Amino acid sequence: MRNAKAKGRTSASDRGGIRKRGAAKKVDREGDLVMDGNTSQSRAKKGRGDSGRSGASSGTRSQTSGRALDAIQKAISSNSDSPQANIRQGSRASNLEQVSVRGWKDQKCKARSNPDGGQESLISFLEKKLSVPAGTRARITKSRVEGDALVVSIKPELLDRMLKISGFSFAGAPLTIEKYDQAESAMLDQLPVNGSTPSAADTKAKMTAFLAKRFNRENKLLDLSDLHNDPDLIAMGIFQSTSTESKFFPALMKVWELNLSLVFDSPAARRQAVESVSLRNNKLANLKTVTTLAQTFPDLKNLDLSMNDFKDAQSLLAWRHKFENLELLDLSNTPFSADPTFKDTMLKWYLKLRILNGIEVRTAEELAALKKSPIPVQAPYFRDEGCIAENFIRAFFSSYDNDRNGLLDSVYDSESTFTLNINTAAPRAHQADVAAWDAYIKNSRNLLRITHLTARMSRTHTGTEKIRKLWNGLPATRHPDIAAHPQDWLIECYPIPGLLDPTGQSPTGVGGLLITVHGRYDEIGKGSKIDTRSFDRTFVLGPGGGAGGVRVINDILCCRAYGGNEAWLPEVDGAGQEAAQQTTTSQPTSQVATPQQVAGPPATPEGYGMPAPGKSETQLQQERLVLQVMSQTGMTLQYSELAISGNGWDLEKALQDFVKLKGTLPPEAFLAASA
Amino acid sequence: MAPATEDALTKQSTDAATEFVNSFYPALQSNRATIASFYSPQASTILFNGNVVADGPAVQEIFVNQMTPTHYEVQSFDCQIINRAYPTPTATGFKTPAEATVKDISILVIVSGFVRFGESRDLPQRGFSETFVLVPNPTADGPKGKRRREWLILTQNFRLVV
Repeated sequence: MRNAKAKGRTSASDRGGIRKRGAAKKVDREGDLVMDGNTSQSRAKKGRGDSGRSGASSGTRSQTSGRALDAIQKAISSNSDSPQANIRQGSRASNLEQVSVRGWKDQKCKARSNPDGGQESLISFLEKKLSVPAGTRARITKSRVEGDALVVSIKPELLDRMLKISGFSFAGAPLTIEKYDQAESAMLDQLPVNGSTPSAADTKAKMTAFLAKRFNRENKLLDLSDLHNDPDLIAMGIFQSTSTESKFFPALMKVWELNLSLVFDSPAARRQAVESVSLRNNKLANLKTVTTLAQTFPDLKNLDLSMNDFKDAQSLLAWRHKFENLELLDLSNTPFSADPTFKDTMLKWYLKLRILNGIEVRTAEELAALKKSPIPVQAPYFRDEGCIAENFIRAFFSSYDNDRNGLLDSVYDSESTFTLNINTAAPRAHQADVAAWDAYIKNSRNLLRITHLTARMSRTHTGTEKIRKLWNGLPATRHPDIAAHPQDWLIECYPIPGLLDPTGQSPTGVGGLLITVHGRYDEIGKGSKIDTRSFDRTFVLGPGGGAGGVRVINDILCCRAYGGNEAWLPEVDGAGQEAAQQTTTSQPTSQVATPQQVAGPPATPEGYGMPAPGKSETQLQQERLVLQVMSQTGMTLQYSELAISGNGWDLEKALQDFVKLKGTLPPEAFLAASA
Repeated sequence: MAPATEDALTKQSTDAATEFVNSFYPALQSNRATIASFYSPQASTILFNGNVVADGPAVQEIFVNQMTPTHYEVQSFDCQIINRAYPTPTATGFKTPAEATVKDISILVIVSGFVRFGESRDLPQRGFSETFVLVPNPTADGPKGKRRREWLILTQNFRLVV
């Protein structure tokens, strides 16, 4: 590459892209240029895995425009204080080979939930595999993340060994290791325009203008179609050489991300900014140049890839485990869409796909069925005794948020036990990164990982004072108000026998309550950083001297990545279903315990479709058929039963009938649309 | 009888929970005919997504006859002792606190993981949380050579949470 070669050792001033005011030029141990004046910090930052993220949001000027400009400037010249630039510049001089390692960000990779995304363990995995038995351990001293690849630098003699690791399984996911292609990800600083190298700020400004032109904020659409005919890009000389062209897209994505973080404050808003992307008519034969799109827009719903040159599934493989929320995909006018396996492959890859090449490939019912569990989701089971559990829960979480000490003094005693376990790999509601678990992990008693008896004992906290010590060290929390946000909670409760009688009077023990709570909380981190997480918490309450006449015997807390609340919203939600209401037994009485009450009673009586003593097999089968009719037609229980019993319990016939009669049915035949 | 030490109790409870988790989920997946054997005859409340299931045999019946193939993956679990002098049933009644050994405990187990309903690995991973109370099986030391499960489910609450 001409630019890199020419500039590796010349003055920094002719490198528009990585010029930094006042930065002293330094050469590090491997002969790389270190542009950052603060050498000691820079060295420290060059530890493995530190990709030297640019501090795009730092800056103290009050004027937004000034700050924005600074941020952009800094981010583009961020190469100057990140190891990234050093590697890119110096790789020739330092005689290191670079390889890209992919696959570790795959959803199947168990390490990706590590606080650092698994980088650290990936590097030590690679070092181990690179090391010759009985030889000294191979070291990877330089690495950085680019999109979904970890780019590592190694001595040339290790290259062959390294490439052979390709295909090995790392934490459950196969790795792909290839020689690093410079052109693949070279950035703004090397985009020559019309023969001369413009300043990065200039390129950045042009790209920003281009994105602004192509982004429809209202429709959440980023239109990147037909790039070759865009006059602005032509003027920039983007398509004059293949090398420039291949650098363009990753650079564009970076500019997008930089701008986005200035426009939208919250990660959620950033995630939702774009739902649709079009890459129509871009002569794409594979995803090589555009693969970073999947990192920038992991939650994309609509993707137009039509009028490109994708030949087969292989050419799209890089996005196989990406875009988990994709609903619409257009690959029309590509050679691949003529392939007989095309539709099946895409349905298999994208579980939420509804429309493929403009044709409905999954109905709403099929989608719902896919999401549905074979065990129907019912309203919470809540069997309280004299509102004990209700009062306990009502008070518990606001006290836990605001006054943990007071809470301990009121319902915990010297025998109460608290333990905490962190499920770092739990499924998530969306693909955003999960905040690190550092503040919890040293107290996590996940018995899968904590296998030594001493550790199991030291992570058990029995008695008010030990629990106090732990709780005071855990991050501050804010749980949503139960009355105001009942849908965010799932709380169940029932009596259990066989607890120790604290008075010693009953040798066969006394009864108590088992309470299970699922919900979410905001963690208030350093600098008021807020991270939303999900939790599961189980209590055993027994009679005792605490507030409300209870004591906490057991309190087990499991924290995990935010997983939403959809899983416990009942699948059939029939607001205003009188018949169902009448047959529904013993609904819990208080709002605190019954999130579903707000959304309306369940559309089927409890236990409907489930075996029960005294229920005949025929009845059970019939109930199940009724449920199937309900789920496929959206009709109420009674109408569904009429439909299928009137057709001799033949599901097929009942559904055919429904299609014919749909338009003539009264509104009350249907369940209200679920919230 | 001297009270059991903390070491012995922690070992007993965590070993029991580990053994349970390591055998119960594989049974739900591929050894469904044994499911009923995990439940105490006294099992009281058994819940799946809020649906009440009567007893161990009913759970087995559902899994054997009606359940799609399932793949469970336990990602985290923990346990605590609820009662360290659990009134284990005996031939003549119940063990009193004075008679309780280190094995006469009830154990609270909480499990977090995911489940896939269906055979394809491409199907969605649904997060679940499950709570159990385990109690000693008074007839674990059965007739020669026929050792039964040492710990049985007294109550169970399964919920999909993601």
